[in-house]
Amino acid sequence: MSAATAAAAAVQVLGGVTLAPLLPGTIQAAKARLQGRRGPSPLQPYRDLRKLWGKSVADPQPTTFVYRVAPPLVAAATALALLLVPIAGVAPNWGLGDDALVLVGLLALARFAIAASSWDSGSGFALMGSSRDLTFAAFAEALLLAALILAALPAGGTALGAMARAANGSGPWSEPAHWCGAVAFALVLLVETGRQPIDNPDTHLELTMIHEGPLLEYAGRDLALLQWSAAARHWIVIVLAAGLFLPHWGGFGAQLAYLAAGIVVLCAGLALSETTQAKMRILRVPGLLMGGCLLAFVGLATWLLGASI
Amino acid sequence: MSSSDLPALAGAVALALGTLAPLLRLRLDFALALQALGVALLGAAGAAVLFGAAPVGSGFRDGIEPALGIDRLSGFFLATIALTALATLLYARDYLPGHRGASPLVALGGLFVASLCLVVTARDASLFLAGWELMTLAPAAAILVRGHDAPVRNAVFVYLAVTHVGGAGVWISVLALAHYGALSGTGTLAAHGGGPEALVLVAALIGFGTKAGLMPLHSWLPRAHPVAPSNFSALMSGVMVKVALYGLVRVLFEWAAPVPLWAGLALLGAGLLSALGGVLYALFQHDLKRLLAFSSIENVGIVALGLGASLTFAWAGDRTWATIAFAAALLHVVNHALVKACLFLAAGSFERAAGPLDLDRLGGLLRRMPWTGAAFLVGAMAIAGLPPLNGFASEWLTLQALVHLAFGPAVGLGIAGMVAAVGLAATAALALFCFVKAVGQVLLGAPRRPEVATAEEVPGGMRAAPVALAAGCVALGVVPGLLLPSLAAIAPDHTSLAAAATISVPGSGTFPAPWLLVGVVALTAALWWARGSRRAAPVPAWVCGQPVDPRLGWTSAGFTKPVRLVLEAILRPRREVVMTEEGGVLRAVAYRGEVPHLFDSALYRPARRRALQGAALARRIQSGSVRGYAAYLLVLLLVVLLAVRVGVIG
Repeated sequence: MSAATAAAAAVQVLGGVTLAPLLPGTIQAAKARLQGRRGPSPLQPYRDLRKLWGKSVADPQPTTFVYRVAPPLVAAATALALLLVPIAGVAPNWGLGDDALVLVGLLALARFAIAASSWDSGSGFALMGSSRDLTFAAFAEALLLAALILAALPAGGTALGAMARAANGSGPWSEPAHWCGAVAFALVLLVETGRQPIDNPDTHLELTMIHEGPLLEYAGRDLALLQWSAAARHWIVIVLAAGLFLPHWGGFGAQLAYLAAGIVVLCAGLALSETTQAKMRILRVPGLLMGGCLLAFVGLATWLLGASI
Repeated sequence: MSSSDLPALAGAVALALGTLAPLLRLRLDFALALQALGVALLGAAGAAVLFGAAPVGSGFRDGIEPALGIDRLSGFFLATIALTALATLLYARDYLPGHRGASPLVALGGLFVASLCLVVTARDASLFLAGWELMTLAPAAAILVRGHDAPVRNAVFVYLAVTHVGGAGVWISVLALAHYGALSGTGTLAAHGGGPEALVLVAALIGFGTKAGLMPLHSWLPRAHPVAPSNFSALMSGVMVKVALYGLVRVLFEWAAPVPLWAGLALLGAGLLSALGGVLYALFQHDLKRLLAFSSIENVGIVALGLGASLTFAWAGDRTWATIAFAAALLHVVNHALVKACLFLAAGSFERAAGPLDLDRLGGLLRRMPWTGAAFLVGAMAIAGLPPLNGFASEWLTLQALVHLAFGPAVGLGIAGMVAAVGLAATAALALFCFVKAVGQVLLGAPRRPEVATAEEVPGGMRAAPVALAAGCVALGVVPGLLLPSLAAIAPDHTSLAAAATISVPGSGTFPAPWLLVGVVALTAALWWARGSRRAAPVPAWVCGQPVDPRLGWTSAGFTKPVRLVLEAILRPRREVVMTEEGGVLRAVAYRGEVPHLFDSALYRPARRRALQGAALARRIQSGSVRGYAAYLLVLLLVVLLAVRVGVIG
């Protein structure tokens, strides 16, 4: 195992597990500043997690095993997905490969577990949230695949490590397909992190929330696991976006610096869009996502035409 | 004579005896055991051939010379039939006694399984078509034995009418292929020009496509599957539609090969329509068995996507991906057979234990029926395409094939590949939606009907069969990489794939099926342990302080409402609210809403109307007068003579 692989593996595990909560924390802090408030510290998610970890969990009645296994299962699927995401073009081999479609499958497993748990508690707000989440997912998964196909074009396959390496340098930026893919993935970023204009992470007004809804019944360590998973999902899509669609050059060390810069830029971008955008009407979101999909098709057409000429 | 001959022969005999046993008034247990023994032997012979033993029996013949045989493709389908049928026979042992008409149902079940085996082992046109017709008629008879009130009769009529009208395509294509010597491979279809080729391909796509339930030829499927006894539903949805796909594979990949590009693209288009349409309509069903039937259409669509991609790759000269797409399609065939049989059998148990399968009136059955419930949960997760279960493995492979099609041998094909890939991704997400809803409404939450709250777990065989099938789903999810080379070896002009636990197709980041299972289970267990067992006292669900009242429980329509509203322009849902006021006070609100099946109203109903009008027209020339008929004969004779004179015939 080379030094780069070991370093990438360390960033995957330590970064994914320990730095992930920093991302939503930073976004919240930056957003507060942009809105002229002092806001919470970027470390607030850690304090929340510590507090929750010390509290006991609640078992609403009547629920089954499905409700109780959901938080560990969601966290496990998300943690495995973390191990598939390449860091700075290097994909350490954990025996899980680094396939983009497997990553999509693992995220779907987490979504299933959380939606099933909301049926189990029977809570109306949880079901409302998962109903909307699953509706968006139908369109978001199509969009995600379209964006991944565009990123996979130069690499000739869906191995995330190869895709990140193929995005290295200035070459990809001369392809319109890359630009289209970047726009499409930006929309994926908004959906998967549950940000405005698609979802509002700040709201606890029951009728407007999506991702928060299914978490309402959980408490204590269960809630800690679920909140960590939400933070880890931020990490996954932001690192992927930085690795596949933000410019980066050079060897592993340089790329690592670009990755760090990319994460900061994307967090700042999310904070900015949170500040400037109002929440969209829920029924308009699929139209937006389909628009992204169409753009991806245009991107593919330019690539294929370019290849055939 | 190869080593598999004897078991195959013995199996056929045992299956025949088991089918006849109820007629001889032998014990039903004994008959079912004989049938199980027979189908197990046949399946073992099939599996042996699939995994490399010499083919059994004769090869294909063009004449009317009845013969049987097993080659690799037949072996694969025989093994799939056997796995599913064994579970349904086990299930039937406890399900049929006490059921109305148990004895004829046992006989018909045996006949049904035998006819399925006959279709895949027939080696000439006559036996193939005989098996084909029996396969259609046996379940129709079983449905009528179960009950024959007007809606059921109507369902059976639609089933027979649609599959027979469509089935004409099967007769045309198979007989034409035999005529051109294409069954045995002595002649080729292509040698006779584009006309016969187009005729055979269109007839085959329509004929086999109807029976497979490909949209828009699927109208019979969601009517017939739910009304059959559950062990028949499992076989119909699990295997019968797959046997239709067997016919399609034979024609497109063997008898009429190499086929032109449009056949591959037509299959891709029909597959995408079926996958998306099937899952969309499944989402809006309120009856569990109807939901499962629509989901079968979706999965047949996924198989068709794989087959279409394979044909397209073959046309473009990419042998590797043609092989992978073909193997993906076959893998999905066996995966879906197990999953769908598991779900239908579990649904039958729920019906037996708790009454009608209206989704909005079930709930909490996982506590009452832990075994059946757990099997249903695993099956639902598998069919939703979640790792590390078997449904994910075949969907991953199919998706890989479509993504590589998008990389494009040509601009048009690339776009087609991406449309199909994106459509399949949306299908998978919608299938998750649909089956979360089914799991939630059937298994989880509070019971919404008194009979559901007191449901009892079903006895022995009815419990064991779905559990065994669910275990099969887990097992197939772990070892798809070991099965894949044998499936790839069936493809015509194939490249060989390496057998390995980790599936690694070119240009993928590898799919390590067993390690995913280990990872998910181990990490979940570790986190479960880390969370500890410290729990507060049991509390009622909080729901922001609202009491959870069963009347406030979510319905199927409520949960799927966002999709219904987003796709309003396509689905055209109907909604009706009637408010009753008395003296300015609102007394009652009646609400009715449904998502109508547009294929029925926009396609089938007009077609039926036209057909009836045509029949009325034809009746006018049936005057009943002998002189009239003599005149018709005379005119016909003159036309024939004229045709001979001109040289059109003769």
